[in-house]
Amino acid sequence: MTGGAAGRGSRAVFPALVAAFLGALALSAATGPVAIPLRKAVDALLHGGDDTPARVLLSLRLPRALLGALVGGALASSGVAFQALLRNPLADPYILGVSGGAAVGALTVALFLSADASAALPFFAFVGAALSALAVFLLARRKSGVSPERLILMGVVVGAFLNAVIMLMVTLSPPGKIPGALYWLMGDLGLGTPRRVAALFPYVALGVAVLLLLSRGLDLLLLGDQAAFQTGLSVERVKTATYLTASLLAGSVVAVSGLIGFVGLIVPHGARVLVGSGHRRLLPAAFLLGGAFLVLSDTIARAASPAGELPVGAVTALAGAPFFLYLLRRNGGRS
Amino acid sequence: MTAPLLSARRLSFRYGEREVLREVDLDLHPGRVTILLGPNGSGKSTLIRVLSGVLPSGGGEVLLAGRPPGSYGRREMARLLSVVGQDPPVDFPMTVAAYVALGRFPHQGLFGGTSAADREEVERALVVTGLDLLRDRALPEISAGERQRATVARAIAQGARVMLLDEPTAFLDIRHRVAFYEIVTRLAGTRGVAALVASHDLTLCAEYGERIVLLSEGAVASQGRPEEVLTPSSIRAAYGVAVACDRNPATGAVRVTPLRGTLAGDNLPLHPPKDQECPPEGESVRVDEGKEKR
Repeated sequence: MTGGAAGRGSRAVFPALVAAFLGALALSAATGPVAIPLRKAVDALLHGGDDTPARVLLSLRLPRALLGALVGGALASSGVAFQALLRNPLADPYILGVSGGAAVGALTVALFLSADASAALPFFAFVGAALSALAVFLLARRKSGVSPERLILMGVVVGAFLNAVIMLMVTLSPPGKIPGALYWLMGDLGLGTPRRVAALFPYVALGVAVLLLLSRGLDLLLLGDQAAFQTGLSVERVKTATYLTASLLAGSVVAVSGLIGFVGLIVPHGARVLVGSGHRRLLPAAFLLGGAFLVLSDTIARAASPAGELPVGAVTALAGAPFFLYLLRRNGGRS
Repeated sequence: MTAPLLSARRLSFRYGEREVLREVDLDLHPGRVTILLGPNGSGKSTLIRVLSGVLPSGGGEVLLAGRPPGSYGRREMARLLSVVGQDPPVDFPMTVAAYVALGRFPHQGLFGGTSAADREEVERALVVTGLDLLRDRALPEISAGERQRATVARAIAQGARVMLLDEPTAFLDIRHRVAFYEIVTRLAGTRGVAALVASHDLTLCAEYGERIVLLSEGAVASQGRPEEVLTPSSIRAAYGVAVACDRNPATGAVRVTPLRGTLAGDNLPLHPPKDQECPPEGESVRVDEGKEKR
């Protein structure tokens, strides 16, 4: 077995993950103040419908669940890529400035554009994320290439600078303008409309597909730049492609859901426990696990606070940390 | 003698102002194991990095199978030349088998599948290095010596004619050191591999090296057959340590024995000082068997 499987029972892992992924979607769609009988749900899915249950299902719950699946899957895939790129199991999608850039973009909208600018917020957040990711990359690049150490260093520097900018914007803004944007930063799937899901889908599909194509290169990056080079990898090209793709994934996700933590950091470890470090299996496993995990967390958040909104980011950490601790401990702390 | 698979002429390299390699001449012939000796900081690792293209040469010429390394594509070059370097450990739970299989990358590329030949080479490399029982263990769980053998296995699986190995036996016990040299010698004999092994193990080098290159301060101090290079004067000049050299009665190979108490001074030097007081050469060559223990 050369695919990097972790051993016992790994054959059943993917069917189980797919089942968990679909199960989480179904559970999320079934949970909420309006009861939707199964027969009605199937009917609505097949033929559409105009009554309340059908509309709740098709325009509220399903888009939200699908958005959660896309966001969770994309964050986990992006985390896998950043961890390989930086050879650091503690890396996550936000480590290199994507979060700070997105926040500045979002606050810019809240501060300088009119009140109904929430439609423009994702766009500006995405631009902010992309610009800061690009800045980190260009600052870290030298003639000899991009070293993980310099990337992390520049990510920290740019992140600190953007944090100062955020503080400045919050302090100097007139009262009442900021809270909406700040709430959005805490991470939320409430923006899940069919249009948003459709807009996000191509970014996630493209990003995950590119990472999958690069999976053998990601395997080799784990050896270190020098050994990867000596084994025949065009290291700098693969690293550039990985960096841009993983940043695009994180940026596009942040744009529609704010900053949801924990998923991109921890889900990759859980997936490694299940299928090993070979990226051809690890990336799909992380996508499924991340999607299922975030959809479930969101379902819990909605069930726990039907009226007020408990940010899903709080649930991911609250519910996820013990589960993943269990997963990691059971495996003898391997990863 | 056949043409060398890898040759370097007047190869130089500098880190900023510091000259690390000075006009190194080196030939690696097919079927021959060449040992690279030299004290810490003498430029062995840098030489291997420059030869493998990780570092750009700062003057001089390298020819790999008759062509400059820059004229090869990355994978094409990796099919000709493999390296066991001093790389950081892999912190991810990759299995030994998956790790060794990465050596097949130059034959597969980013998008290619795993062929029967790939599987066969990986299997052979695992068996040859005695790792077949550890194949499903994760890298962080095995010992440093086992990881080092896995790295050698990965390089073997790569299937290149030229192998550059940077202290591949540093963490190995004596059995696996011997096994390593047996493996390299066999690869040279059966596959015509040209190997360069950087090492500090003077004893095994003398037993297995057909040719020895001794580096000192970035320049080749001497090169030739073991008995030509391993002399008390050349070793004292390079390492700043007094040794006795004789022949091992069992094998006939040169035997180098360091002489106790000959590093003079109250504070032992970390680098060989220029005017180190060593016993005159005549005294250090012969040591009576009975007297050496005291």
